[in-house]
Order: sequence, then C-alpha cells, then structure tokens
Amino acid sequence: MSTIALSINNKAIGPIETSDDIMMIEFLHEHLNMTGTKFGCGVGVCHACTVIVDNEDGTSESVRTCINGVSRFNGKKIRTIEGHAKENEFGEIIKLSPVQETFIENFSFQCGWCTSGFVNETTVLVERLKLMPIHVSEIETVIDKALGDHICRCTGYVKYYQAVKELILATEGLTRS
Amino acid sequence: MKINVNALKLSALLLALPLTVNAAQDELVEQGKYLAKLGDCTACHTIDVGQANGGGLPFTTPFGIVYSTNISSDEEFGIGHYSLKDFTDAMRGGVAPKGNLYPAMPYTSYHLLTDQDIEALYRYFMSTKPVKQENRDNDLMFPTNIRMGLKAWNLVNHDSKVFEANADKSEKWNRGSYIVNGLGHCGECHTPRDAMFAMDQSRHFEGELIGGAMASNITPQELNRQGWTKQDLDDVLRKGYSRKGTVFAGMYPVVFHSFSHLTKDDMSAVTSYLLDNDAEVAAKSDIFNGHDKSDPGYALYTGFCAGCHGIDGEGKPNVSPALIANATIDKAAPINTLSVMLNGVEEQRYSHTHGFYAMPSYRDTLDVKQLTELTNYIRKVWTKQPSDLTESQVQDWVDQIEDSIADAAH
Ligand code: FES
Ligand code: FES
Repeated sequence: MSTIALSINNKAIGPIETSDDIMMIEFLHEHLNMTGTKFGCGVGVCHACTVIVDNEDGTSESVRTCINGVSRFNGKKIRTIEGHAKENEFGEIIKLSPVQETFIENFSFQCGWCTSGFVNETTVLVERLKLMPIHVSEIETVIDKALGDHICRCTGYVKYYQAVKELILATEGLTRS
Repeated sequence: MKINVNALKLSALLLALPLTVNAAQDELVEQGKYLAKLGDCTACHTIDVGQANGGGLPFTTPFGIVYSTNISSDEEFGIGHYSLKDFTDAMRGGVAPKGNLYPAMPYTSYHLLTDQDIEALYRYFMSTKPVKQENRDNDLMFPTNIRMGLKAWNLVNHDSKVFEANADKSEKWNRGSYIVNGLGHCGECHTPRDAMFAMDQSRHFEGELIGGAMASNITPQELNRQGWTKQDLDDVLRKGYSRKGTVFAGMYPVVFHSFSHLTKDDMSAVTSYLLDNDAEVAAKSDIFNGHDKSDPGYALYTGFCAGCHGIDGEGKPNVSPALIANATIDKAAPINTLSVMLNGVEEQRYSHTHGFYAMPSYRDTLDVKQLTELTNYIRKVWTKQPSDLTESQVQDWVDQIEDSIADAAH
C-alpha cells in the first residue's frame, strides 16, 4: 500500500491509502469519484485520459493517467476536466473555460469521450503560447504537434483543430505576425 | 518418309536450351532477391516517399551527410549500366564506375560474398523496376568530401578478401558466420570503430553506441551469459520480440526488412554462429529478486513504468515487453536502459496480430537523480548487475547517448 497526497484542481486531496499498482485514472474514478477523465485504450495510445500536471517552475505538462501509476502524481498539483469551468458557491457551473467554449461553438465533439483529453491538451498549449508566442504562420504545425496524438472516434479532427485555431487567433498575445 | 532422328534430337535440344537458360537465370534472380533481403539493401536505398531502390536516404556521419544512391536498374540514374565486374568492384572494393563509394555502403562487409552470390544479386538488381530518380549530392566537410581520400582509406582499412571457412567449425556455423559478417553486415553497427572509423576487429561485436542507442554486445560470451537460447535469438530476429526482450531503435527496421525473411536453415545457422554452439542451449532461470518498497526507485517504477511493464515486470502482450529476463537491462553499462528512457521507443508493427505500442520519452520528465534511482532499481529487481551506479556515471552515459544521436551512419 502507498499513501498518496496531492492537489487536484486546487483542492488538497489525501493522504489516501491505495494499492501500489493502481494507475492514476483508477484512483480518480474509484477513490475520488471523478469520472470526467475518460478511459479509452488503456495503453497510452488514444490520449483520452490526459490530465494536466503543473510543475513548480510554472510550466505545465499533459500526462496520460492510464499508463502512469498514482505514485507519479504524489505531492503534485494536477488539473482535470472537472477544474476548468468556473463554479458558484453551490458548485454550479457559471462559466466555461475559453477552450471548452470554443469546442462547443465549433461542434468539435459528439460523444465527448475524447473531449477531456482535448481540453486538457489544448489548455496546456494555450498557456504555453502565452509564455512563448509563435509566429502566426506556424499555427497549424503547432496545433498538429500538440494535438496530433489525440484520437477522436466521432467528429474527426477538423472541427477540433479549427476550434483551437480560432481560439489562438482570437486570444491576444499568443501569436505574432 | 524417312525421319532424321538426329535432326529431331537437335531441334528438341535447341528448343529446350533457351528455356533451361531462362530457368537458371530466373533462379539466380530469385536467389538474388533473397540475398538482397539478407543484405537489407532496399531499407537504406529507399526513402519513405520514394520508389524501392531509388536511393536518397540521408546518413548523418561525423563528417557530414551522405545520401544513399539509386540502385535500381535504371540506366541513367541507377546501376543499369553496370557490368557484372562493375557491380563486383562496388560490392567488394567500394569502387563504383563513377569513383570510390563512402564506407556508409558496407562493402567493408559485403566483400566476403562469393562470386556466385554477387552474380545473383547483380542479376536481381538488373531485373528491378527502373526508378527515374536523380542521386543527391553528399554534404560532407573538407577533406572527407574528396573521394580520392577514400582510396587511401581503403588502402589502410579495407581488405577485400572473400569469405574463408573456419575449418575448426561446423558447416552450419560457417554459414552463419558468412551471413552475419557478410550480407547481414552486423559488425557495421555492433563492432566498435577505431580512430580511423573502421571496424576494430580486435573488438568484434562488442557493441557500439550509434544513433542514441547501443548496438549491443553480441559476442557469444555475452549472449550466453545473458542466457539467450537459439530459440530466443530466432524469435527476436524473426519477430522482433522474444522471451529475452525486443529489438528497438535501428534494429527494428533490420528485423522488419531483413532478418524476418531468413529461411529456417539460415536462421539456425545464424543462431549457431552467434551462440557459438550448434546444439540448443538450455534456458537460464528468469530473474525476479522481488521489490524493495523502501527504495526510492520503487515509487518511480510504479509511477512511470508499471502501467505497461507490469508491477512485477511481466509486461503486456502486444503492448510492452516484460522486464523479467529482458537482456536490454542486463548489461554492465546500462546505456540502453537509459536510452529507452530518454528517447522512448517508437511503435512497432510486425503484423496485424503482433506489435508494440510506443514507449514515451522521459527526456524532459526524469532528471539525472531519478534516472539513476530508476536504473539502479530495475537492475536490482530484474538482474544480477550491481545497483550502485552513481549520478555522475549516469550523467556520463546520458551525455554519450545524446552525443551519439547525430552520428547514425550504419
Ligand atoms: S486511455 Fe489513456 S491513452 Fe488511451
Ligand atoms: S467525440 Fe467521440 S471520440 Fe471524440
């Protein structure tokens, strides 16, 4: 057994006793009842299960929870799909994040299974571009590089990529011309 | 009417003759096709977006970039204008009609081929589809860009003699040696290079860092120490995976394009030669020394590795190899253990039913302290190798791996 404590969506979680060999996604689902992170392939291929890990140096990375054990996240700060929208004091959603918004506006998803992974990956991308803007001509290559590993079985990728492109162009400071 | 029996016999003979000659030619072409697979010619002489044998694949060497050439039967751009002698000179001496070849072309191994095999290869290449693709100019720095220098290099470093059987060894062993050292050109990666960048035969097959990974030590001593059986070697060379682990980095295309096509007899000869033993070798028992939960490597293993390699290192079929009995982690210097952690491993597909998913790269995720703890832990649990590597040793290996990434010619 291991004892795990971490911060998820800015809330301190644990210490919780858990078995050593469980993967992070199982921990989220079974111990915390946080089921927004989806289990797709279970072998690190589809990236549906991606969450965000916020590093101490201010950078963030996307990490797959189906192939990474819970000990990788011990003591870390992470964000999951449940943490993006703003909530009121009763826990009701009052505002979606810009990434969530753009996906809805562009009808990017259908069944939504891949969406939490896309939201997290895009959020990491947008935050990175805030720190390190790119030239506007690079936009498609950069999106493809960031999202290229994410699999969507329903709507295809055009609407996702289009949505991300729109968001990047509409957000000040992410691109230079 | 009187029938002239002799005339009849003669005409029958005349009719049969071209057929026999054709059949013999076809057989030679077929044999050449098989030999070209053993030599893995197409893999280096084809680019992703090009036609087979059209050339153009870049090889980054410490001296600059060398591009493979068009070896299709095209008379203008390929080798269609070569005579058998031209072809033989290129294969044995590295001398093409246009001048000396750079030793990225492994004539330094192919010289061992018999005349008959060279002719078969020649007939085969002359039968390939002509590809209209112009050769690219190499991008080498002075003085290596002067081909004349290659004459001098060959004089000092190249011996173009044909394979000679070792009378103390079996026919099978000798066949294996012929394949492995000749067309297989295994030594080009697995034998360390000397100051002149020639294979250092005094350290034959002892391993060399190339393109970010170690072409392993494949001497019989090392393979037998690690507990490879003939069947394990047959599996890993034919299918890419085995009880003793998988191939990765530059060895994956070698298995895919070349070794997986070996006949049963040739594979048996190769494994006899590699283990220096014609008989099957008994498997050694698999090592699992048990976990040590107080070791900092344990949390790293469960956090980063166990998801795919299994909590006890049992692996997942068609996803990732087992660590139990895995030869990659059972080496005195853990270069390949570190190499896969830094570089990851690309997805491998051998057939519709066999393959492995990609392993992520941890270059930006694990620092040297973590790499050291994890490497020591893996050695402690699944090998008999000492698990007291220091961070500075690991840093040295990491630097060597990173430095070798650009130097990937053969
Ligand atoms: S569920 Fe994790 S990558 Fe597919
Ligand atoms: S919306 Fe269904 S998998 Fe992407």
